[in-house]
Amino acid sequence: MKLGSIAYRNIYRNLRRSILSATAIMVAAMSIVLLFSLLGGMKADITYNLQTYSTGGIRIRDRDFTKNERLNPMHLTIENVDILSRELLETPGVSVVSPRISFPARIYRGEENYNAMGVGLDFSTESAFQDLGPDVLQKGRLPESGKNEALLGYKLAEKAGVGIGDKITLLSSTASRGTNAITLEVTGLAVFPLSGMSDNTFYAPLDRVQHLLRMPDQVQEMLVKFDADVDERALTASLPSGLSDSENLEITYWQDIETSYSFIQMAETVYNIFALFFFFLASTVILNTTIMVIFERMKEIGTLSAMGMNGKDLVRLFFLESLYIGIIGSFFGVLLGILFTHLLSITGIDFGSAMEGVDFDIAPVLYPKLSLKSTVLVFFYSVVMTSVVSIFPSRKASRIEPVEALRAV
Amino acid sequence: MKNKKTTAILFLLFFTATLLWSQTAEEIIRKVDEQQYFATMKTTGSMITNDRFGTKKVDYISWSEGNDNFIIEFTSAAERGQKILRTSDELFLYYPDAEEIIRLQGAALKQSMMGSDISYEDMTAGNDTLRQYDVELKGSETIDGKDCFVIQMTAKSRKVPYPAQTLWIEKETYVPEQVRYFSKSGKLLKEMRVLEVREMEGKVIISKMVLEDKLKKNSSTEMVLDEIEINPVLGRDFFSLDQLAW
Repeated sequence: MKLGSIAYRNIYRNLRRSILSATAIMVAAMSIVLLFSLLGGMKADITYNLQTYSTGGIRIRDRDFTKNERLNPMHLTIENVDILSRELLETPGVSVVSPRISFPARIYRGEENYNAMGVGLDFSTESAFQDLGPDVLQKGRLPESGKNEALLGYKLAEKAGVGIGDKITLLSSTASRGTNAITLEVTGLAVFPLSGMSDNTFYAPLDRVQHLLRMPDQVQEMLVKFDADVDERALTASLPSGLSDSENLEITYWQDIETSYSFIQMAETVYNIFALFFFFLASTVILNTTIMVIFERMKEIGTLSAMGMNGKDLVRLFFLESLYIGIIGSFFGVLLGILFTHLLSITGIDFGSAMEGVDFDIAPVLYPKLSLKSTVLVFFYSVVMTSVVSIFPSRKASRIEPVEALRAV
Repeated sequence: MKNKKTTAILFLLFFTATLLWSQTAEEIIRKVDEQQYFATMKTTGSMITNDRFGTKKVDYISWSEGNDNFIIEFTSAAERGQKILRTSDELFLYYPDAEEIIRLQGAALKQSMMGSDISYEDMTAGNDTLRQYDVELKGSETIDGKDCFVIQMTAKSRKVPYPAQTLWIEKETYVPEQVRYFSKSGKLLKEMRVLEVREMEGKVIISKMVLEDKLKKNSSTEMVLDEIEINPVLGRDFFSLDQLAW
């Protein structure tokens, strides 16, 4: 009889124990698949949110803006916006461009005032850059170019006590380093994917914001998104050569900008450590099972040795037994992980109340995202780890003398 | 017996001198306030701010009435038509593109005016100094070759922008040549120096001064008065909200 068949048969000799071992591996594999899927979902969500609302895939600013950012240097602007937009869109790999002005403002309404963050956007092109459809625009309509109109985050509107058709007056610092105020009519209420944005952000037509902030044909930044499957870093590096005013611009790849994405990268490392720990725990069950099996089958080990089975074959026998349990446990664990991930990717996991008041670039409802690469890795990793660990006790068994083994029990 | 008499006389002299000294501090401040008081006044000038980003000049016309009421209208291209109205205890901002007149209050008063070293709060301080501050004459010092009284002022309430001030007041003209503004903990917040004065109708008016916000790096704002008109005729409701949008 071949070793593989003997090992397979041995699984059934104490089926309950084998099931227990496989279950431990299954739970570990399932948990890790779920954890990585959750992390994958967070990464995808944070990447979209950052690239859409904050950094773009590439962020272009005046070269001195970022180092003076804390002083709100509204006068450090990008000029000739139309030319720059055209040059960017002609660059292979660039899919969409969003010229915009983000500015801190104070909303005055009667005796009350509220801090807010304004964003001036060209609504005629912005819908290609971000979702401004019914998922975001919950009530009313988008503001129109040339009109003093605004789209308010619904929580900001609640705070200011305004609805569709009401007016707000906002005051801000201008590019001429003075101040200016304008009155805008609320035409729509938005539920942004980030709860912090719904709490303090409003959108207004770019041309009216340019007028308010004394920035004719100027913007504060241009955000760029890539085509799929483009080498993003290489494109960022090559971009300046295609732009006529590149020496006055700061062109930054989004992962090089200090954002909450670095927390996700950090979380990824932590999750890897978690995975190791989980598999280590599962391995101790296999280790324990193998040790018990060796003690139980000491007479059998002695007989097999007396019949001529060498030590290597004995190790191989126990290794194969653990390998089969490992494969079965890992397979069902990964399968369950995929199943739960699929279910949760439809329903989502609501962290809304836990994230109340937390300013993080992540949506309150997370949708886990399965990564084929990490799922396959989890499967092989758990199989290898759980089967390799059986080698240690079985090597000890292989060194037992047949006479000694036959005397046992 | 003789010694007792001498001690009594010395004590009396010292007490009288101290009394006179403190009265003098109040008198000095009263004269400073008087110097700056006009029934009505119209000035045309500019505010030049120098900071790490360069120089910014804002032109304006201002009208004032007594210690409390004034209107500033900005006339430079970027700020044209913007106005600030101050009445006895309130400050309002008018912007041509805004349908609402903004009333500044609380923390908003601490904001910089037009990116300068002057805050809106600085404009709320009237000339009735003795009602707001306890004053003490600390001695004499020479500032830019001018003999000055040194007056220490401590706020009587929290309603004033600066809890403490030190003034160097020229003995001859009663012009505050230099003023330092301090926080409650004694931290220097701002410093004002007079660069030029002009004599009109028997009074000495500050026509050029520089203010430095010591909490900002390399920042200063010069206020320059080009034209001064004393006692122009202003309408009855000139300093009212209705007049802001004229």
